[in-house]
Amino acid sequence: MSRRRVLALAARIVRQFRRDRRTLILMLIAPILVISLLAYIYRGATHHVSLAIVNSGASPVAAQLVAGLTASQALTVKTMSAADASRAIKRNDIDAVLTLPDNLSLTGSTPQTLTVTLEGSQPNTSSAVLNALNQALPTTIVRALNPAGVPLKLNPVFLHGGPQFDQLDYFAPTFIGFFAFFFVFLLTSVSFLRERIQGSIERLMVSPLSRAEIVLGYMLGFAVFAALQSIVLVLYCVYAIHIHYTGHILLVFFFTLLLTIGSVNLGIFLSTFARTELQVVQFIPIVITPQGLLSGIIWPLSSLPGPLRILAHVMPLTYANEALRGVMIRGDQLGALWLQTGVLAGFAALMVILAASTLHREIA
Amino acid sequence: MEEDTTDTIVEADQVSRRFGSIVALERISLSISRGRIFGLLGPSGSGKTTLIRLAAGALSPDSGTLRVLGHIMPNRETTAHIGYMTQAAALYPDLSLRENLNFFGALYNVPASELTARIEAIADEVGLSDRLNSPLQTFSGGMRQRASLACALLHRPELLILDEPTVGLDPVLRRSFWQRFRELADQGRTLIVSSHIMDEAERCDELAFLRDGRLLATGSPDALRVQTGCQDLEDAFLALAEALPAAQSGDRR
Repeated sequence: MSRRRVLALAARIVRQFRRDRRTLILMLIAPILVISLLAYIYRGATHHVSLAIVNSGASPVAAQLVAGLTASQALTVKTMSAADASRAIKRNDIDAVLTLPDNLSLTGSTPQTLTVTLEGSQPNTSSAVLNALNQALPTTIVRALNPAGVPLKLNPVFLHGGPQFDQLDYFAPTFIGFFAFFFVFLLTSVSFLRERIQGSIERLMVSPLSRAEIVLGYMLGFAVFAALQSIVLVLYCVYAIHIHYTGHILLVFFFTLLLTIGSVNLGIFLSTFARTELQVVQFIPIVITPQGLLSGIIWPLSSLPGPLRILAHVMPLTYANEALRGVMIRGDQLGALWLQTGVLAGFAALMVILAASTLHREIA
Repeated sequence: MEEDTTDTIVEADQVSRRFGSIVALERISLSISRGRIFGLLGPSGSGKTTLIRLAAGALSPDSGTLRVLGHIMPNRETTAHIGYMTQAAALYPDLSLRENLNFFGALYNVPASELTARIEAIADEVGLSDRLNSPLQTFSGGMRQRASLACALLHRPELLILDEPTVGLDPVLRRSFWQRFRELADQGRTLIVSSHIMDEAERCDELAFLRDGRLLATGSPDALRVQTGCQDLEDAFLALAEALPAAQSGDRR
C-alpha cells in the first residue's frame, strides 16, 4: 500500500471534478433546491391556514382570544356556529376548529384546556395550525390577559391521522444522507465507467497500483465532495431554514462519510454492469428510488406493509436515516446508534469487497 | 529489479489464451533479448493485442508461462519496470498533459523531487512542451499518441510495450517515433512494438509474424527473407501464411 499512489488517485479525482463545474454545482445546489422547495411547501403554507372559531358563550376572555387570533398573520380566522364549523371542516373548507368554552376564564386555579379539532389529513397543515396557535396563544394573548399566567393548554383533536411534528424537521436529516448517497453513487459509477471506456483502467491495472489502492483512492477522492456537500447542506438546513438540530455535527459527517464509503464502492461495482452512461442512469430507479421511498425519509417504517418493511430493513439508507435523525433530532451519541453504525460499516465493508472483486485484475 | 543475467527480457513458453470459444493465442513460444526492438506483425485479429496484454500483465495465460524480467506474469512488482502504451490513448481527457504525467509519475513512484524536471524533459522529447498545461481533449490524434508515449516513458521502464503506437500518425511523426524507439533501444531498453504496417517491420531488430493466434515465424527481417526466399517482407508473410494449414479464423479479443 503506497500512500503516494492512493493520494495521487484521490487528487486526480478531485481535480477532474473540480473542472466539471456543472456537476459540482449540481451536487451542491440540487439538494438545497429540493429542501428549499420542501421548506416552502411545508412551512411557507402557514399563512394559508384557515381556522374557524366557535364561540357560543359571552366570556370576555374568549372575545379577546378571538380578537388576538384574528390579528395573527399566520391564520385566517372565521367565527362560526358549531354546526357550520363541523360541516365546513368535513368539506375541508377550513383546516381546524377552535372551540372556546362558554365560560372561559383565566382567573381560576386549574389550567384551561382549549379543544382544537384538526382536519388532519395533511399532517403539514395540522402542524402549521398547531404551530400558529401555539405561537399566538401563549405569547401574545395569554400574557396580556393574565400576566400571573394560568396555563392555557391546547388539546388537539384530529379528525384524520394523528399528531405529527414539523415534517421538515423530520425530513431534513435524512436528506443529507440521501443526497450524499445518490450523488456519490452516480459520480463514481460514471467516472469509473469512463475509466473503462477510455481504456485508462487498463493502464491502472498494469501499473503498480493495487486493487486496494484503487478502491481507497476513489473513496478518498469522492469523500472530499461528499463532505463538502454535507457541510453546505447541514449549514443551510441549520442556519437558513432553521431545522431542528441538537446533536453533534461531527456525528452527522461521520454517518454521511460511512454511507459514502458504501456508495463509492457500490458505484464501482455496478459500473461493471453498464456499458454506457445512460445505462448508469438506469440504475437510479433500481438502486436509488426504492431506498428513497422505503427508507423512512417520508413515510415512517412502521407505516409500511410487512414485506416492504422487511425490504426497508436491508437497505443501508434506512440505517443512515435512523442515525442522522437520532443525531439531529434527539441528540443521540454514538453509543446509542451502535446498531446503525454497525450496519453501515458492514454495508461499506461488503461493498468494498464487491468492488475489489470486480476490478478484473488478474495480477497476483 | 535484479538484473537478469541471461539478458532475456521476455520469454514465452507455450502460451495459450482463449476468450470463450475463440482461440486468441495458441502455444506461442518466443524470447526477446535486451536492447532489441521486437516487432509483432499480423493482420487485425491475429492475436497481437492479446500477446501484448499478456506481456503487460493485463491478462493471464490459460496455459503456458510468460516471463518478463525473470518473473512469471502477471506480476505486480514487475509492472513497475514496464511502460505500456495501449492502442487508444487511454489518458484523462479532462486533465492537462502535466496532470496526466504527474498522476502516472506518482503511480510508478517516480521520485517526487525529479518529477517536475522529468515531465518537462519528456514533454520536450515528444514535442509537446508548449501544450503541457492544456487539457488532452484539446489535442489532435497525433498529439494524444505522443502524450500517451510520454506517459509510458516517464518512469524510464526497462521494457516498453507499445500497441500500434504509430497508427494514425503522419509520415513525419511516424519517422520521429521510430527514431525515438531506436534511441531507447540503444540505451539498453527493450521494446515490443505491434503493427500491421509491413514497412515498419523493416525497422525492427526481430519480428514475429502472427496469424489467427499462431506464430508463423520469428527472426530478423533478413533471416525471414532468407527463410522464405522473398525480398519483400509482405511477400514473406504471405508465403508463411499460405504454408500454414487453414485454421479457424480467430478474433483478436
